[in-house]
Amino acid sequence: MTRFVVRRLASAVVLLLVLTAIIFLLQAVSPGDPVKAFLGNNASPAAVAAERQALGLNDPLPVQYLQFLTNLLHGDLGMSFRSHRSVTSDLAAFLPATIELVTVSFVFALILGTIFAVSGALRWRGSAFYRGPLLVLATAPPFLLALGGIVIFYAQLSWLPASGQGADTTGPTGFLLIDSIVTGDPGTWGVAWQHLILPGVVLAIAPAIAIGRILRSSLESTLQADFVRTAESKGLKGHVVIARHVIRNSIGPALSMAGLQLGFMFAGVVVVEQIFSWPGIGNYLANSIPVSDFPAIAGVTLVLGTIYIIVNAIVDVLQTLADPRLSA
Amino acid sequence: MTSASQTAPQRGGVGEAASIEGLHISLQRDGVRSNVLRGVNLTIGRGEIVGLVGESGSGKSVLALALLGLLPSAAAPEITGAIRVAGVDIVHGSAEELRTVRRDELGVIFQDPMTSLNPTMRVGRQVTESTHDHAEAIRLMSAVGIADPELRFRVFPHELSGGLRQRIMAAIAVAGRPSLIIADEPTTALDVTVQAQVLDLLRELRDEFDCSVVLITHDLAVAGQIADRIAVLYAGRIAELGSVSDILHRPNHPYTVGLLRSRLSLETPRDRELLTLRPETGSPGERMTGCAYHTRCPLAIDRCAVEQPPLEQGGIPAADAHLRACWRSINDVQNLAHHSQGDSVVTPRTRNEAAAPAVRVEGLHTRFVLKSGGRKRREVHALRGVDLTVQAGEAVSIVGESGSGKSTLLRVIAGLTPATSGSVALAEGGAQMVFQDAGSSLTPWLSIGELLRERLLPLRLGDAENRKRIDKALVSIGLPLSVAGVRPADLSGGQRQRVALARATMIPPAVLLCDEPTSALDASLAASVLNLIREMRQELTMTVLFVTHDLSVARLMGDRIVVMTQGEIVEAGPVNEVIEHPSHPYTQSLLASVPDIGVLA
Repeated sequence: MTRFVVRRLASAVVLLLVLTAIIFLLQAVSPGDPVKAFLGNNASPAAVAAERQALGLNDPLPVQYLQFLTNLLHGDLGMSFRSHRSVTSDLAAFLPATIELVTVSFVFALILGTIFAVSGALRWRGSAFYRGPLLVLATAPPFLLALGGIVIFYAQLSWLPASGQGADTTGPTGFLLIDSIVTGDPGTWGVAWQHLILPGVVLAIAPAIAIGRILRSSLESTLQADFVRTAESKGLKGHVVIARHVIRNSIGPALSMAGLQLGFMFAGVVVVEQIFSWPGIGNYLANSIPVSDFPAIAGVTLVLGTIYIIVNAIVDVLQTLADPRLSA
Repeated sequence: MTSASQTAPQRGGVGEAASIEGLHISLQRDGVRSNVLRGVNLTIGRGEIVGLVGESGSGKSVLALALLGLLPSAAAPEITGAIRVAGVDIVHGSAEELRTVRRDELGVIFQDPMTSLNPTMRVGRQVTESTHDHAEAIRLMSAVGIADPELRFRVFPHELSGGLRQRIMAAIAVAGRPSLIIADEPTTALDVTVQAQVLDLLRELRDEFDCSVVLITHDLAVAGQIADRIAVLYAGRIAELGSVSDILHRPNHPYTVGLLRSRLSLETPRDRELLTLRPETGSPGERMTGCAYHTRCPLAIDRCAVEQPPLEQGGIPAADAHLRACWRSINDVQNLAHHSQGDSVVTPRTRNEAAAPAVRVEGLHTRFVLKSGGRKRREVHALRGVDLTVQAGEAVSIVGESGSGKSTLLRVIAGLTPATSGSVALAEGGAQMVFQDAGSSLTPWLSIGELLRERLLPLRLGDAENRKRIDKALVSIGLPLSVAGVRPADLSGGQRQRVALARATMIPPAVLLCDEPTSALDASLAASVLNLIREMRQELTMTVLFVTHDLSVARLMGDRIVVMTQGEIVEAGPVNEVIEHPSHPYTQSLLASVPDIGVLA
């Protein structure tokens, strides 16, 4: 087991190095002069040349890459052309809101997906009434869901807010839900939840269906398994059979799908954050792309890629825990 | 004994663990409803072992599930008649009542312990689920013959051998001191030496725990080893019911006689065609009038087709009765039992010592790396220096248990698995292989004609000649030409295995490699496939390498027997020598484990 975890971590590190190399190369071949972008188009050629030298842009590419990696290790992602602040501090400001949104949304997706799967596999009565609509909703692109949600729940019914987080964080962690509790402010906590519901659900629906479908089919095949028949012949109660024998043996494929979807959600957050004016890195990225703010784009890409790799490594380890045969 | 079982209420009380009366069950599959059980009457006395014997499709496993109240709801079962287990009405009882009966009164052992145990739960916990008590679980695990139960308690099923897994199943089955254990083909998935142990275990459990056992099996000899009574099931009805000695030595029903005679044993004459039952043509379960067996019965008279013979006068039969459902007199049936042997076949002595050997294997080693789940690697040394020469025209049987390397050897000779070191030389013509599971070795979406044509493609014969060859191949395996148009799924297991044989032999190979081609078939079908292989061998003067776990089959199919264990050949010699004077202890233990019923008296 330990050996497996170590090997899985090692491969994650290799993947991360590949990711940095790709980002660096993209940056190197991208059109547009970062120095001009930074100093402005009116800068004197002499100033540009001096800046190039200072930034190391005249060095050979491998040397530049090593410099890039060294900076990365020191948490230096360069300066944003747009905000003229370090990308690292920009990310630190925007990342918590995104992580908060995606985490909450992921939990929504897991709950919805599990209900979808279990009700289908166990043929609960009336389950078609919500599985049908859920399936239809999952086919809609997120921006349409977002707009629909805003029109209905904000504009028409006025049940839910439609933009922002509702408050700024003042606490130590940067996560509004946690900070509001730490600082003893239940009012803000409630407001934060209100603001999370719409974007959270919009972002959750497609992953919920993807996870739910996989989980449903593996539940159905596990229910047919001989060992479930053995468990039933022991005279165990129905829910005990499901909880002890069915769930754990069905969870593997759903786990890897959940990992995949969590990665997709960090990518899909760009659209949702824009529509809901969510102060996260998706919004930051959307604002950086039009002005070719490459350090910012690279920073966000690196963060999202890192999250993706870490999530999948964790999923692999979890799968091994769920099924002892995998580490045998 | 624990205090809980001392205070348990008295069970049954009327001297029977379970009773089945007038039981009809129909199940639906792919929208088609079929009558699986059609009027079964049976009692299982306290402390009694009842063997329930029948071919596939006889309804024996459905009867087991019905006793458990676990018929799959997807099959929309319709049940009439009565099943009572420990006084509880299983047919009409509520789900909660059935669950309580399963928990308190029933234990079950299924066919394949690998799939019947939860792969992600430690085996001890699976036993504890039934005992609710760690100490009791440990005690039961040692009672079923598991050494070091404390150590084994913490392992997962895949870390145990097949025999130990089935012992775990047995521990689960006896947990809670059930009044009835249902064992559904408990030994079919196990090696012969393990099979004998599991049967002994079942009898010991009956003696120690004073429970009854329903032993479901396709093999009369297996039932004969431990049962007190045997019920022979045919097409959802009991054809014959009686004590073990009555059924095995004084069979009164033509079907029982047929089953006994088509059973292969170490006494089966080698120079005669193997006896088989007439093949089933329709679906007997759908024939509501007459005796379900009459289309296959050598003694059938007109009455058999129109009037169904009763097993008895109705009601539940007495415990010691020898009952049968047949219109013919007992004398006629007994005559059948003693008469008629198969036609004699001249065993070909086409072995040609002068010609180059068909197969020459020298110093063969094969190692492979098992990657379980793509993670940790485990190296398996499947063949450890095998030398084998097979003369042209010779038939050699390779015998061994699972993991002996016998199938690997065949696959290496066929070129399907690479050798790590050593050499394999084949005569011109190459090798063709017939696999155990004909169902999965035939491409499901191709018709039989297309499957056979594939083999002819390299010869570029043209359509007309291809058609002629395919027809000839179908005739040679005794199938109608219309079979060319159907897909494998529409054929029975025996027919599929015939097609696989036709495909392998339509261009005669230098050597025909058979990997347990009959172990998934009912006895009679198996015998007919073996007959076919022997016929083909005679006609085509083919060299045959026949892999099997069954010494009685090996004896019939080979001129020589080669015994393998743990990747090595431990004994080799002419059939009679190996069977009558085995020199290696492993061969001796294999021979001792062959379940036998003695000569039909």
